[in-house]
Amino acid sequence: MLTKRDRNLYDRQIMIPEIGEKGQERLNQAKVLIAGVGGLGSPTAFYLAAAGIGTIRLVDYDVVDISNLNRQILHWDGDIGREKVDSALEKLSRLNPSINIEPVREKIREDNLSRIVEGCNLIVDAMDNFNVRYLLNRSAVDHQIPLFHGAVRGFEGRAMTILPGQTACLMCMYRGPVPEEKSPVIGVTPAVIGAIQATEVIKFLTGVGQLLTNRILLFDGIDMTFKEFRINRNPHCMHCGNIKGKE
Amino acid sequence: MGIKVHVHQSHVQYTNGERIIEVEGHTVGACLKNIAVKYPEFGKQIFEKQGKLNHLFEIYVNGESAYPKELEKEIKDGDDVYITRLLSGG
Ligand SMILES: [Zn+2]
Repeated sequence: MLTKRDRNLYDRQIMIPEIGEKGQERLNQAKVLIAGVGGLGSPTAFYLAAAGIGTIRLVDYDVVDISNLNRQILHWDGDIGREKVDSALEKLSRLNPSINIEPVREKIREDNLSRIVEGCNLIVDAMDNFNVRYLLNRSAVDHQIPLFHGAVRGFEGRAMTILPGQTACLMCMYRGPVPEEKSPVIGVTPAVIGAIQATEVIKFLTGVGQLLTNRILLFDGIDMTFKEFRINRNPHCMHCGNIKGKE
Repeated sequence: MGIKVHVHQSHVQYTNGERIIEVEGHTVGACLKNIAVKYPEFGKQIFEKQGKLNHLFEIYVNGESAYPKELEKEIKDGDDVYITRLLSGG
């Protein structure tokens, strides 16, 4: 049930026919996991908190570095040296005190991920490397919950939504290990992609619109174009090849 | 009229600035080999050892992923091929 305060706070989005009070209630009841509170995780968490997602669990083991500040907008100059999840918790609770923020200061590994994911309705991939992305993908498949993929480099980014067992997953396109690198990036790129991921999360939770499934959206800020390509589910996929999604 | 191959922003350094290259070939692999002949430095990026496609590259044909056997994918005149690369930053 929405309180009087909720009705005021979320007034402008409740006015959207696709959301309405029912949609807002769904957002308030949702519990989402945001894996990584960096360039992608910052805008995603900001907008999901503002939209009134009931519980946001944030996972990151890192501390704020001065070189993060050009893009990781949850972290400010005074936060340098502070744990990212604490810095994020403070900003998000000040933005919206009526939601729960659950900070988890851990490095995501194969043996702790199941516990970290437990109880969440979905996972936002806001990571900066494919090793952990594949762990998130596996976990999303195991828990049968959606994964909202995003990645950036320079002025370029991409996003895709994965409904395990129903639509193509990250492993469906696997072509070998991806080396970790220190990517060049300007803050506006993860802002664009993070906002797309947050949009997809809101649509999934409220059950509206066409999700970015079986298609990858490529953003190019230099040319200022969005391109979309069809991605097919791989029947031999190492993660989702043997499973059927729940209807 | 041949195959239109769209070159990624980061690869135009190997193609004298060309964003679209027209080539001939009945498969993606044949087209890419022709590109490698014309632009050897780009060829070194496209192919790994034993002529395998660089595993960080992605190929899309007419708006659809050519995965998994990209190089064997058959194509015809007028088709659009995009060469792009995986992004991993966050
Ligand atoms: Zn899969």
